[in-house]
Amino acid sequence: MAIIARKQAVQQGANVRDQLRAMDDSGVVTAFLNGEERAFSELVERYQTRLLNFIYRTIGDREKAEDLVQEVFIRVYRHLHRFDRSKKFSTWAYTIASNLAKNELRNRSRNPLVLFQTVQKNWQDDDRPLQFEDSTSRPDDMYRKRHLREIVEESVAKLPEHHRNVFILRELEGKSYEEIAEITDCNLGTVKSRLNRARNSFAEIVAPYME
Amino acid sequence: MDCREFCDNHLAFVDDTLAGVELVRMQLHLTECDVCAQHDATIRRSLMLFRNLPRIEPSADFSKRLEIKLHEVKMADAAANHRSSLRFRAGVAVASAVMLAYIGVSLRHVDTPQDLVLPPVVATATTSEVPTSGPAPEMIAAVPAGIPIWTAALFAEQTPAHFASIQLVSAAR
Repeated sequence: MAIIARKQAVQQGANVRDQLRAMDDSGVVTAFLNGEERAFSELVERYQTRLLNFIYRTIGDREKAEDLVQEVFIRVYRHLHRFDRSKKFSTWAYTIASNLAKNELRNRSRNPLVLFQTVQKNWQDDDRPLQFEDSTSRPDDMYRKRHLREIVEESVAKLPEHHRNVFILRELEGKSYEEIAEITDCNLGTVKSRLNRARNSFAEIVAPYME
Repeated sequence: MDCREFCDNHLAFVDDTLAGVELVRMQLHLTECDVCAQHDATIRRSLMLFRNLPRIEPSADFSKRLEIKLHEVKMADAAANHRSSLRFRAGVAVASAVMLAYIGVSLRHVDTPQDLVLPPVVATATTSEVPTSGPAPEMIAAVPAGIPIWTAALFAEQTPAHFASIQLVSAAR
């Protein structure tokens, strides 16, 4: 009897997870606010990788980026009841992430011992994944591609912070101008201008290595 | 279209948000201007490189660590709620104690017998005049003289007031 009850509970849990997976963000948020704790796990699953990449590309430190993503989720958990549900959840989550990344860079600029490129280089040297390389490539091709990847990452790091933020949100996360304006708390004109400058600067830095 | 206009519209051109006519003009300029064509190619290639950067994945213990942190947050929130609830209860207890003390003090003052100082009672007579409904004095004077009452009343009305008294004085002589 107990085994049957347990099986039914597991089945119900799986059904709930499937239902949550099928919902849009707004539905998942509503479910969480109605007391469904599993809805929060669904939000984490949807956003952890995206937020991690966004923060990592902004600050260049993988470990710190993970800590900051955790902080984003803690803030979301604590303040979700205050979230304006007429707006997009993703925009809100990215706004929190963007602010945390900005604070991290500000703290770092006060402490010149930790620099963006140093942190990024250290991580790359130690345990970088080889995803950028194709396993079927020849070794010299692999080297060239890895080198190019480093150049690209360094070029992003060279962009001014407010340009880099907009650039990553647009090119990596695929956000619309309007969403970027909301996340970065700028007007649409500023977003377009920053994005245009960021693209030009980035291309200028990378161009010599693309020949 | 000149190169300046091309550069101004290049953001929208790359993002495919230009209107049809503008798009055709931009494409036409690309075929005419090698510098702008080179610029466009560089931008697009560099963006492609950036977009193809490998995406990193959260570490294996990411979820576990988050779970632990969330648990800590829940505990901290629960403790904070408990503390504020205790604080509220303590506040209510103190307020009740103060209220009870006040009531006690008030009741003690009520129980203590005190000499009542009341204003003195003063009796005053009403000044209103009671209308006299009895017979006139002339009529009363006439009664011992043996005159019937109704005639005496007539006399009393028609004769001068001192008439009866003069008669009485002369009868006494």
